[in-house]
Amino acid sequence: MCQDYIYDKEMEQIAKEEQRKAWKMQASVTTFVCPCKCVPGIGEKYSTWEPTKRELELLRHNPKRRRITSNCTIGLRGLINLGNTCFMNCIVQALTHTPLLRDFFLSDRHKCEMQSNSCLVCEMSQLFQEFYSGHRSPHIPFRLLHLVWTHARHLAGYEQQDAHEFLIAALDVLHRHCKDDNGKKANNPNHCNCIIDQIFTGGLQSDVTCQACHGVSTTIDPFWDISLDLPGSSTPFWPLSPGGDGSALNGESHTTGATALTDCLRRFTRPEHLGSSAKIKCSGCHSYQESTKQLTMKKLPIVACFHLKRFEHSAKLRRKITTYVSFPLELDMTPFMASSKESRMNGQYQQTVDPFNNDNKYSLFAVVNHQGTLESGHYTTFIRQHKDQWFKCDDAIITKASIKDVLDSEGYLLFYHKQFLEYE
Amino acid sequence: MKMEDMPLSGPDNTRLEALAHDIYSELVEDACLGLCFEVHRAVKQGYFFLDETDQESMKEFEIVDQPGVDIFGQVYNQWKNKECECPNCKRLIAASRFAPHLEKCLGMGRNSSRIANRRLASSNNMSKSESDQEDNDDLNDNDWSYGAEKKTKKRKSDKSQNSPRRSKSLKHKNGELGSGVGAESYKYNYNTGISYETLGPDEVRSLLTTYCVFLQQCGVISEHTKKMCTRSQRCPQHTDEQRRAVRLFLLGPSAPTLPDADAVETDSFDIPDPQPLMSRLQWEDSDISPTDSASSKASTNHSDSRKPKKKKKPSLPLNSGGGGSGSGSLAGGGGSSSQSNISISTKKKRPKLSAPPISSIYDDLA
Repeated sequence: MCQDYIYDKEMEQIAKEEQRKAWKMQASVTTFVCPCKCVPGIGEKYSTWEPTKRELELLRHNPKRRRITSNCTIGLRGLINLGNTCFMNCIVQALTHTPLLRDFFLSDRHKCEMQSNSCLVCEMSQLFQEFYSGHRSPHIPFRLLHLVWTHARHLAGYEQQDAHEFLIAALDVLHRHCKDDNGKKANNPNHCNCIIDQIFTGGLQSDVTCQACHGVSTTIDPFWDISLDLPGSSTPFWPLSPGGDGSALNGESHTTGATALTDCLRRFTRPEHLGSSAKIKCSGCHSYQESTKQLTMKKLPIVACFHLKRFEHSAKLRRKITTYVSFPLELDMTPFMASSKESRMNGQYQQTVDPFNNDNKYSLFAVVNHQGTLESGHYTTFIRQHKDQWFKCDDAIITKASIKDVLDSEGYLLFYHKQFLEYE
Repeated sequence: MKMEDMPLSGPDNTRLEALAHDIYSELVEDACLGLCFEVHRAVKQGYFFLDETDQESMKEFEIVDQPGVDIFGQVYNQWKNKECECPNCKRLIAASRFAPHLEKCLGMGRNSSRIANRRLASSNNMSKSESDQEDNDDLNDNDWSYGAEKKTKKRKSDKSQNSPRRSKSLKHKNGELGSGVGAESYKYNYNTGISYETLGPDEVRSLLTTYCVFLQQCGVISEHTKKMCTRSQRCPQHTDEQRRAVRLFLLGPSAPTLPDADAVETDSFDIPDPQPLMSRLQWEDSDISPTDSASSKASTNHSDSRKPKKKKKPSLPLNSGGGGSGSGSLAGGGGSSSQSNISISTKKKRPKLSAPPISSIYDDLA
């Protein structure tokens, strides 16, 4: 009669229930690997939150609502140094500002099956709550330290430690504790579907080409980070391609200007002659032959972590390599993919960048820096919040930073996030 | 403009354009209607007002970008006095010293086993002054109380003031750990006993329940100093009732009862024949020395000669309080009979037998 649209509660309830059932059925049949929505078998269809009557009442009585705008401090918090624990603090800052991880934890997606209080994932969840609580005083991550030391004994000990090692150990423990979220203990790294694997795990393809018969044997290994050699270490950096002086390939700069992250990546993915002392048994020609090995990215993780190997621990010396390496805000990983191998081998490095292919575009969101020497130093982190605002996290002190500060910094661990996410 | 109305004979261009226009308008309609429905629903269901936010409280959370303050507008370096509760020993620790504390508390890290060995050995000696020295060393690395921060870098002066018996053979601790915190030495001074608060839970347990009665302390907590009595089980100042009570208090209802005569190595509580006692004491004396390795060797010898006892874990039959966590265990600081008192005195003086406990050393005890 009033000709207006109405929302009948019963109808809606029925519709919601049926939708949920349909989703569940669909989910169990196909495999969605979207980290935000559903995991096969568990997970519900995402629906926007609508407050209940009671909640509406409460909200009406409490009108002080705050929205997180781009000028808001919520989501940022300092961390107290517990005694040489800046290496832990900087990794925690990087992880708490990883958008997907933040979404996962703030939407309470971790269902803990561990009996005791020693689940690191629960502690991470708690950490996010602390960061978004609006408290201004720095948080004391003593429980986190205790848990990490309990689960990763090799890290325990009051001494200065490496942030990269801590990152790997933390991801490992989180991954182990996360397995429970799937409802099955998937020990097989290829089939684990926990949030850590969905976000951080990539696949590195290693191709060994026999020089005699040109047969290629391929293996794919999972990785959480890419460790890149730098110029200035005892192993020579240039030339990037075997036998060449580097200038034959398009677009390569040979020691003119600063080294770029892309140079390091090129070196990482270059074909390498293994030499006569490392002959491989070729299954094609059934003999030991010299071969060439090449690493490329088979599958890129959603968050790519690049580790610049600044700490040299060779037999000759132990030192820190302080060579400046420039890194971009936006990174296109297409030339380093396995699929681009052919065009590279043909000498064509700079392919035309396909503007519509957004699969491999990454943007920087966290940079961990180390100041000092091998024996003693201090870690700080730059993190990105609200699209283009950068902040410097120095233990308990958070200050605003400019993009220039970030890009001029030395860089030890670089965290890049995929720009466009897709469902598999 | 509908598709059906278009003449088919018209140029393709126009038709294409019309098609495109159709699709475009549908999209626009969809978008607009979508938004309209959302707002309509919000109004109808009554939650439209949620979009409004409180401007003033939002101002509190604005980012501050000024030199000398962080983004919250706070001055740097005001967080010196933060504390946290150790998940292992449940004590309140200064946050900035939490990591070194936790390392020792959990028994990880490079020096924890050495410290534990030392303690074990020094308490085996039952030499108060010795254990003073060695424990002092160790305690200097500890940070169990937040008052400790004020005492940094005072090791040497503290030691010289507080215990005239310190020998020069004091071991020097690693720089990286030693520069910190410190001198809990005041807790050990002129010993009124051991402050049970500074001991880890395993140490308390082993102090009170070591199977080897020879090493067992009285343990009763003094009213005015709040410290545990380090005399033997036969200490005349305290009764068995009190000893039982303190075990109940510190170890819980499952605390083992005080050992009876059966468990004791010597059968009588009277002062025994001095001869065999002397020989035993001399054996102890010669074996134990302040150095690390010798101490641990001695302690092993010691336990071998008596009931076999594991060094680190208090996994003794009387222990019902659960296993020890790796912080090492003290073998107990006292003795079960007056012989122990004598052996303490052997360190520094000629062994003297006297009917009451040696008063010379324990004069200063509470």
